[in-house]
Amino acid sequence: MARFAGGKAPFLRISDQKGKNTNTIMRDFLIALLPVVLFSWYKNGIQVFLDGNINFFEMLYPLFLIIMGGFLSVVMEGIFFYVTDKKNNNLKSISHKLTTSYAVIPGIILALLLPIYTPIWVLMVATFIATIIGKMLFGGFGHNIFNPALLGYVIVGFTLSGFITDAGGVFNGSEVLIDSYASATPLGIFAQFSNTGEAFSFATLVEPYGNLWNFFIGTIPGGLGETSALAILIGGIWLVARKIIKWYTPVIYIGTVFILSWIIGINVGESGIWFPTYSILTGGVMFAAVFMITEPVTTPTNPLGKVVFALFLGTLTVLFRFVGNLPEGVATSLILMNIFAIPIDTYSGIIRTRGFKKPGLSFASVLFVIFIIIVAYTIIASVNMYTAFLPIINIWQVI
Amino acid sequence: MIFHKAKGIQIEGKKELCKRHPLADYLNPDSVYIPLVHRNLKLEPQVKVGDLVKIGQVIAQFKTYASFITHASISGEVKSIKKVWHSTGKMVDAIEIENDHKNTLDESIKERKNVNELTREELIDIMRDAGITGMGGAGFPSYIKYQTKENIDTVIINAVECEPYLTCDYQFIIKFPEKLLKGATYMMRAAGADEVVVAYKVYNTKIEEELNKLTEKYPHVKLSPVKDIYPAGWEKYIVEQVTGKTYTSLPAEIGVIVNNSATAIVYADAVEKNIPLISRPISITGEGINDPKTFFAPLGTKVSELIEQCGGYVEGLDPMKANYIAGGPMTGRAIFIDDLVMDDTLGAVIVKPFITWEYPECLGCGRCADVCPVYLTPTEIKKAYERKDVKLLDYLDTKKCMQCGLCSYVCPSHVEITDSVSKGIDLLRKGAK
Repeated sequence: MARFAGGKAPFLRISDQKGKNTNTIMRDFLIALLPVVLFSWYKNGIQVFLDGNINFFEMLYPLFLIIMGGFLSVVMEGIFFYVTDKKNNNLKSISHKLTTSYAVIPGIILALLLPIYTPIWVLMVATFIATIIGKMLFGGFGHNIFNPALLGYVIVGFTLSGFITDAGGVFNGSEVLIDSYASATPLGIFAQFSNTGEAFSFATLVEPYGNLWNFFIGTIPGGLGETSALAILIGGIWLVARKIIKWYTPVIYIGTVFILSWIIGINVGESGIWFPTYSILTGGVMFAAVFMITEPVTTPTNPLGKVVFALFLGTLTVLFRFVGNLPEGVATSLILMNIFAIPIDTYSGIIRTRGFKKPGLSFASVLFVIFIIIVAYTIIASVNMYTAFLPIINIWQVI
Repeated sequence: MIFHKAKGIQIEGKKELCKRHPLADYLNPDSVYIPLVHRNLKLEPQVKVGDLVKIGQVIAQFKTYASFITHASISGEVKSIKKVWHSTGKMVDAIEIENDHKNTLDESIKERKNVNELTREELIDIMRDAGITGMGGAGFPSYIKYQTKENIDTVIINAVECEPYLTCDYQFIIKFPEKLLKGATYMMRAAGADEVVVAYKVYNTKIEEELNKLTEKYPHVKLSPVKDIYPAGWEKYIVEQVTGKTYTSLPAEIGVIVNNSATAIVYADAVEKNIPLISRPISITGEGINDPKTFFAPLGTKVSELIEQCGGYVEGLDPMKANYIAGGPMTGRAIFIDDLVMDDTLGAVIVKPFITWEYPECLGCGRCADVCPVYLTPTEIKKAYERKDVKLLDYLDTKKCMQCGLCSYVCPSHVEITDSVSKGIDLLRKGAK
């Protein structure tokens, strides 16, 4: 008689096979980021070096910044493990914990979101916020509510953007010499128009940067990794082919932004297809669609939840961008939606099994009504802030 | 519903391990241990220590709201009533019978002459008195299915055997194809139906060959291959594939009865020769077994004897790094001591070494939700269970889960999610009371 080990059914696991577990998923995420990293290096380093505007070491700077992002984030998590777990603070157990914590990815994504001339100390602050506050304080990998990279980016963007602008900001060595690039990213220009209330047109929004093809390739000013739709799409296709992400999440998100932007464009008198295209190719919509809203930890898990999440997020992005006063509507709306991923996950889980019978129906109608209200408000408010509130004001006067 | 496409996935079968040898007989073990437990029901022993029993004699039964009878599987002397390991993972009382190797049959076992004139009620009575239960693993007394008041038009014989490793049904059918069709015919008559459908996996062409030779004699039998996916042997899946209809709790609602193929073969013997359920096929397989085989053995045989017949464990097997699984690898149960006793629901014993690695946390990829055949959201159920939120567990339809184990199977982080869901079901039952 021998005593055997216990265990729980099922006794077959895909994850026990080589190359089918979480480590592979994370490795594939890193591979998907590779085209984006390479393009941003080409655009901000190699191309500028070939133009003769920077020297050889400055050419390596974009790559250095991205690697630094990943490195700092790993180091910070290592320090966190060292400080919080006094019993096992030897090198071996910390490196064990780091292998299942996947700190590199938020670090690299964070560096890709930031502009090229971000001071290293700002990057350090951002990685601290991302990994320690955004991730480890919530309980480490798998327990974070906010997308760590995004939290770091948003907080740095709100508080330290002045230092980034002083250090050189979004323009690389070549772009800073071009006069037609006023003083901001494409969406920055748009924000100026919407602040003053002037009408915008293809000539004022797109032409300073060439044409829409440049937007697609990514030769426009912007954060390190967010400009090139092409490089992001290559990464996205890799992720879909490897079955890491669902194809419909990015498609629904981009589609929602596209359609709502189109409606808003028609509302303000720009019926051309260029406006929605411009809308999805700027401000990191593409980057968010492929690498942020598909990030598994902070978004809903079930298929229906992913669809609902993408729909809400697209609407909120358009709302924040064109109605509110935030040029970076993507990041703010995504941070907001990260919180609502939890109820959406529960609601859609119920709707998924129960269908439109009781209690699924009530949950479905709650989601549906909120969605309709946001969409309706976005479209109405895009015309004029005053007209959006007019009915509410009228009711108030009647009372 | 939206995105309701998930219908199982293909799992590496590993059935060739056990297909190398044909079904081997192991009918004369030195002693058998008949468990006095069936599906959480305690059976009343009908014999005393020292009694001489014959093959087919009733030795224990349970009679309150349902009737379940256990027969002696060998002839000999009742030695003792002692605790043995049962496939439920617990130690239960069992009647030990020492074999006298005379194979004396009970008087009740004899050829039945009027086979073709038996009425529906008589056929159901035979099924009850023979103690026939679902041999696919559930162990539900079969006659209860046939006592339904619904109008049954189809009997489906489940020969799918979708779990990996298992080959006992396959080899049983290959050996007794005619008995399968006979048993199916009697089942059809017992149900008052006019059609029998045998469902099998599409790659099991040998079953198709064997049965096609006989279909001229049994024109009411139809063959229906199903896809090679897990869980294709699930009752609801088969019924949907064969009839195109769905039901909520019991297949009788839409006029269908589903029975396991081994049950049908045993029932053929029960009708024609009045032999009760005393033996069944069992696969002894897995990477930890030297020479995997499928045996036809009397109930109550010690599995360790069968493993010896297979040449024992492979050399260098570390028991603490291996699982000893009673049942299929997806739904079975790990047994700690290799001193298991066969019962009527045990279709396989698998000895399989496993590997461990650094398991990460759940990352919420949603593969469990994608693959769930009943469209549950296992991660949400797990969270609700951890918060002990009974209302949410109910909203999430937790009791729909049939514990196929696919969610744990696909999980890239090796989360014990099936286990959490089944604990959630327990909590829901407790909370509902």
